[in-house]
Amino acid sequence: MTETAPILSWLDLAAAAGLLLLAGTVSLVLRLGLEKRLAVAALRTMVQLLAVGYVLRFVFTGERALVVAAMAAIMVTAAGHAAVQRSSRTFAGIHAVAFLALVLSAGATIWLVTGVVLGAEPWWTPRLMIPLLGMILGNGLTGISLCLDTLLERLDERRAAVEADLANGATRWEAAREPLKDAVRKGMIPILNAMTVAGLVSLPGMMTGQILAGAEPMQAVRYQIVVMFMIAAATSLGGILVAVMVYRRMFNERHQLRRGMIRKSGR
Amino acid sequence: MSSAPLLSCRGLAVSFGARTLFSGLDLDLQAGELVGLRGRSGSGKTTLLRTVCGLDDPTAGEVRLDGRTGDETGWPCFRRAVSLVAQEPLLPAGTVGQAMARPFAFRTCSALRYDPGLAREVLAEVFDTPPDLDGDAGVLSVGERQRVALSRALLLDARVLLLDEPTSALDPEAARRVEAAVRARADAGLAALIVSHDPAQAERWCDRVVDLSANTGGRS
Repeated sequence: MTETAPILSWLDLAAAAGLLLLAGTVSLVLRLGLEKRLAVAALRTMVQLLAVGYVLRFVFTGERALVVAAMAAIMVTAAGHAAVQRSSRTFAGIHAVAFLALVLSAGATIWLVTGVVLGAEPWWTPRLMIPLLGMILGNGLTGISLCLDTLLERLDERRAAVEADLANGATRWEAAREPLKDAVRKGMIPILNAMTVAGLVSLPGMMTGQILAGAEPMQAVRYQIVVMFMIAAATSLGGILVAVMVYRRMFNERHQLRRGMIRKSGR
Repeated sequence: MSSAPLLSCRGLAVSFGARTLFSGLDLDLQAGELVGLRGRSGSGKTTLLRTVCGLDDPTAGEVRLDGRTGDETGWPCFRRAVSLVAQEPLLPAGTVGQAMARPFAFRTCSALRYDPGLAREVLAEVFDTPPDLDGDAGVLSVGERQRVALSRALLLDARVLLLDEPTSALDPEAARRVEAAVRARADAGLAALIVSHDPAQAERWCDRVVDLSANTGGRS
């Protein structure tokens, strides 16, 4: 049961591009005006993925720690930036908060998975670490941006309610607890949803990829379970870290909700 | 009155950049005293109340309760005793009863027990038709929220109340009821600093009125 998938040639890719003709025809017939965008999107997909392929080939050969670290740093920086870009509110230092939360949550989780669960030697073996890190960051940035957005919105729009608690003798932690809880909960919703319907609505991407590549289905399932747990752990850890860091920035030691910290980001 | 003040403000000043809202403000409140606060719009009345309870920092000066600052007592304890009721309070999502009970979960209120019966009594003092404790707090009008927030502060037995236009959304009859409830607590030792835009009300309700205009204006 370990049939490998057929090797794809450039000709096969050209044949697959024919599938886009179908989408292009629909656009033409219905006058949707999407032909140009479709062509640009298809070209971008090709160029970006081929570039990543060459980068991965370079990173995977040789197992050089410095190269892996540089790749991981680029991935985390891009993810941190993307997490912040999606938030409708912002504050000074938001990039550092998102970046640090991603570094700590992804770093701890990836080490546990590759070093402890998978027993890789070294733990940063690029063929394992880079794809897994990509999955953690892809999901983690969604969780962190949802968490950030919810928390900043609550502290901004419901500032009066938070200050009413402070005015009645609440500590800053007591006043912030509900917005923090809501924010972490919101950040966890996508992965919880994915875990709930995993295998029922669709086969998760990584598992599908492994099966296509010829893996034994039960092995692919086990890997997918590890990945789901890994993403859930990283997302919850990232959300909690972001929430605590925002909390410490928004409230001072005099138990005040600091003024003028949050501003609309115009998105 | 010659006894030591319950609440004492010394040399209070608040500036935002080059703009000074007020400066050099000295103000004492004795136990049982209701002090009105007036001043033109934008003179810093709300900011003064926020500064007194430590939600905002003064640019200069200090506030003491029984001779101790918030830094000495801890700010949550200070605000538990010197409680601000905002002009347009936001109540937490849930029922009126949950809004009334909420502060009792705070560590500074751990010596107190929430008693729904007592909550109903206080609401009945402040409202002519009190809201049901099981009713949705989210549907209350501004005037009702003002009175629920005031009732909650009275239930908590704060020693000083900072009331920011507490009857601004009420009709005269409802306003008088609020005045009577606060006056009754003042007779038992509560002190209050009350912002009011109605000179007749301030005259009727308060023991004296302080005009913030004397300390406002100017650019530093």
